[in-house]
Amino acid sequence: MLSQSLVVAHKEIVESFRDNRSVFSLLMYSLMGPLAVGLVSLSPAIRGAAQSPLAGLMSVFTLVSAFTSGMNVAMDTIAGERERRSLLPLLLNPVHRRNIIIGKWLTVSLFSILGLAVTLLGFSVVFVISGMHLQVPWPRFLLAIALGMFPLPILAASIQLLLSTGCRSLKEAQTHLSMVVFLPMGVGMFLVFFPAARRAWLNFLPLVGQQLHLQSLADGRAVPLVQSFVLGCLTLTLATLVMLVSSIRLHRDEIIYGN
Amino acid sequence: MIKVRDLEKSFDNRPVVKELSFQATDGAITGLLGSNGAGKTTTLRMICGVLKPDSGSIAVDDVAGDPQAQQRRMGALLDHIGIYSRLTARENLVYFGRLRGMAPAPLKERVREVLSALKLESVADRQTSGFSQGERMKTALGRAILHSPQNLLLDEPTNGLDIPTVRSLRDLLKRLRDAGTCIVFSSHVLDEVRALCDQVVVISNGSFIAQGSPAELCSQTDTPSLEEAFLKLTCSPEVPQC
Repeated sequence: MLSQSLVVAHKEIVESFRDNRSVFSLLMYSLMGPLAVGLVSLSPAIRGAAQSPLAGLMSVFTLVSAFTSGMNVAMDTIAGERERRSLLPLLLNPVHRRNIIIGKWLTVSLFSILGLAVTLLGFSVVFVISGMHLQVPWPRFLLAIALGMFPLPILAASIQLLLSTGCRSLKEAQTHLSMVVFLPMGVGMFLVFFPAARRAWLNFLPLVGQQLHLQSLADGRAVPLVQSFVLGCLTLTLATLVMLVSSIRLHRDEIIYGN
Repeated sequence: MIKVRDLEKSFDNRPVVKELSFQATDGAITGLLGSNGAGKTTTLRMICGVLKPDSGSIAVDDVAGDPQAQQRRMGALLDHIGIYSRLTARENLVYFGRLRGMAPAPLKERVREVLSALKLESVADRQTSGFSQGERMKTALGRAILHSPQNLLLDEPTNGLDIPTVRSLRDLLKRLRDAGTCIVFSSHVLDEVRALCDQVVVISNGSFIAQGSPAELCSQTDTPSLEEAFLKLTCSPEVPQC
């Protein structure tokens, strides 16, 4: 029942917004990219140069933001519950465990999407301040972002929840989830510095596709909307599958007696 | 009413509960009595539907094989009381009421009733992070009885509580019992079992040993006290602590 998932999501959102750490980490991680790129863009050495390195940096920071903004909430919502011993009382209720995971997934996704939105907003400000011009029309740019990019934080939320279900404490979750951040960072940096590795099919591969997508848009190359749409659908499908695996993991005995 | 038949559970090939059968009736407090590690908590967790038995059956009010339907008929306070520290006591109760599908207006009224019954009105709208152990336990108990369950399971609920709180908890359990609730209560504190339980199920090493009223167990074992009866029933030359 979706209503039970919404009850779980509502409670998680209220609790997360009352936890200053979740809000601070969302803001810090999502503004980190615009601040760094903004500073670099004001450097005299960069001002005269081509914009390509900045576009690459922007895309990497954007991908990282999608993965970091909801990280604190993802840790807290499962591993934190186990550590505080509130997961067992939750499972005593006649609620399917899939509905519990969906509720938590919605919460982490919300934080991740908010973080990504703040990052993109920050980069828009950087564009204006640094005098850089977007060569793709704004409506087209926004539609491509909405279709192709916004499913990525939802995938990130799924991956983080999956890892969080395997952790018994916040500390353990922090170790594992911090490592996941290297995924977008590594993919992003590799494609920025080794553009020859690009292949057409990579445009449809979740995470890699988003990186190529962003870089194309920032470089002023229009991305076909159907490509954004297909990438978004594939990413959402993968996110749903990973989320379902998390709900299966929530059925294991270890989730109860492991702590 | 709760009927447990031939329940078995192993963790990593180590049997924890072995062919356990017993029955807890409505309008009675049934105590699960056993030493540490006897399998009481695992048994309660299986009855509550959070652990799946390897074999055997559990029927709650004659409903078997459907853990969610069984969970709708029971409330439980197990060893993890875990209330949400960033929510108030009232918000904690409302959350679990909404999860159980209670409509907003009756839920609001029922939460007020439960807070009043547990004498938590004065702290009801405070975040629970600063609560004492007694206030936390009462909030968790409120969560277990919020939906007026016919069956109530409690795992060593008086651990860490002061004497006035223990006494008010006992009074509450007796009131629920008199109203016809089936209460299963696990403990290794013999005074508590004697003071509260109408029936006692003795478990040792995950197996059923005996069932009866405290007086019946004393009579069966020809001993003057429940403590002596418990030791006689559970001790054997193979058990070192005996």
